[in-house]
Amino acid sequence: MLGRFNWAGVIDFLPQLATGLYYTLLISVLGLFIGFILGAIFGLGRISKNKLIYGISSIYVEVIRGTPVLVQAIWIFFALPLIIGHTFESVTAGVIVIALNSGAYIAEIVRGAVQSIEKGQMEAGRSLGLDHGKTMRYIIWPQAFKRMIPPLGNQFIISIKDTSLLSVILVPELIFQGRLIAANHFNAVEIYTTVALFYLVITLTLSLVLRLVERRLDIQ
Amino acid sequence: MIEVKDLYKKFGDLEVLKGINCKIAEQEVVCVIGPSGSGKSTFLRCLNMLEEMTSGDVVVNGYHLNDPKTNINKVRTEVGMVFQQFNLFPHRSVMENIMLAPKKVRKISDKEARERALGLLEKVGLSDKADMYPSQLSGGQQQRVAIARALAMEPKVMLFDEPTSALDPELVGEVLEVMKQLALEGMTMVVVTHEMGFAKEVGDRVLFMDEGIIMEEGDPENIFTNPELERTKGFLNKIL
Repeated sequence: MLGRFNWAGVIDFLPQLATGLYYTLLISVLGLFIGFILGAIFGLGRISKNKLIYGISSIYVEVIRGTPVLVQAIWIFFALPLIIGHTFESVTAGVIVIALNSGAYIAEIVRGAVQSIEKGQMEAGRSLGLDHGKTMRYIIWPQAFKRMIPPLGNQFIISIKDTSLLSVILVPELIFQGRLIAANHFNAVEIYTTVALFYLVITLTLSLVLRLVERRLDIQ
Repeated sequence: MIEVKDLYKKFGDLEVLKGINCKIAEQEVVCVIGPSGSGKSTFLRCLNMLEEMTSGDVVVNGYHLNDPKTNINKVRTEVGMVFQQFNLFPHRSVMENIMLAPKKVRKISDKEARERALGLLEKVGLSDKADMYPSQLSGGQQQRVAIARALAMEPKVMLFDEPTSALDPELVGEVLEVMKQLALEGMTMVVVTHEMGFAKEVGDRVLFMDEGIIMEEGDPENIFTNPELERTKGFLNKIL
């Protein structure tokens, strides 16, 4: 049944799909990199005893977690420019959306991992005369980071898939390119299947890498 | 060396320490005994401010712990602590556990820290475990590493919070032996313990705590053979 489709014809569109893949990867890598930094900052903010820092961090996490990523994308691309009087390139907006969105979830991952480290570890560090910052840096964070890896991997995969929603703000990523091709050449089955496979390859590769990292850290 | 004045500690509405007064002299080994919930661990943890006191004062090596200007990190470098659950850093080797604080706090060189750590490992009888990770050691070995880690800061006082309570019975001896050695070398020690044998043999003084105060104190021989209070008698009868 699948034989009546022109699978070989997909080859002609690979360069265009590769362009889409480039943007998907670009936004994923940049967005998640910034997202991780945001997550680390706001995750630690969520454990802070400083009420202002805690408050700001909590508002950030709750607002982002409580609204759909699609709404966030549309709001940042179409609404925010009207408020601040500055328009973003769609790719820039895409990176912002993925960074802000993943940052909120990563903040919760960071918070959970840091809080899961036994209280005695902080006490042991402090009793040796290490200050709070050094104890966090040398004792708590390395242990917490190891525990973050599985949930981080999960979040990375979710965010990579979320980049497909950025086609609505005209980011020329994978599914955006796929729709262009399919609309012009009436090969929806071949193209959309190929696009799906591209996503699958990205996420499976990431899973594999994370498993290797995890095993590596386990030995230590 | 340590002076405790009218120390109170509340956790919310619960008053755990209700006015502790005591002095601990240099080179003295003081054992703190008493039933669970009597506040002895809280008392010990107030001595290096792992618990913040509610009122009163603790003076350690001349530092007033109730003074907000006191640099608590500085005080702690001179007060070693050993925990019931060892609290070794599981992601670091035995050597790294011992070397971390001297390097990061005292800023000594890697070479010096390494030599110091090796010397301490020899002292606690674990020279052959230097490159192992805490999870590869028995409880007794872990606790001895924890003692070495605390000693690496060259503290003037050592606090022990039930150091053998989490150990299998056959591993208790090796830890007590290290502690005894330390006492003989003249270390000032405050030991919260249920090991009455250790208190009797090594302790210069025993404090019996109950209901948040020091009920009775004296030299071990007297307390164990001839306690004044019924409470002390009752407690000793239960555990001896």
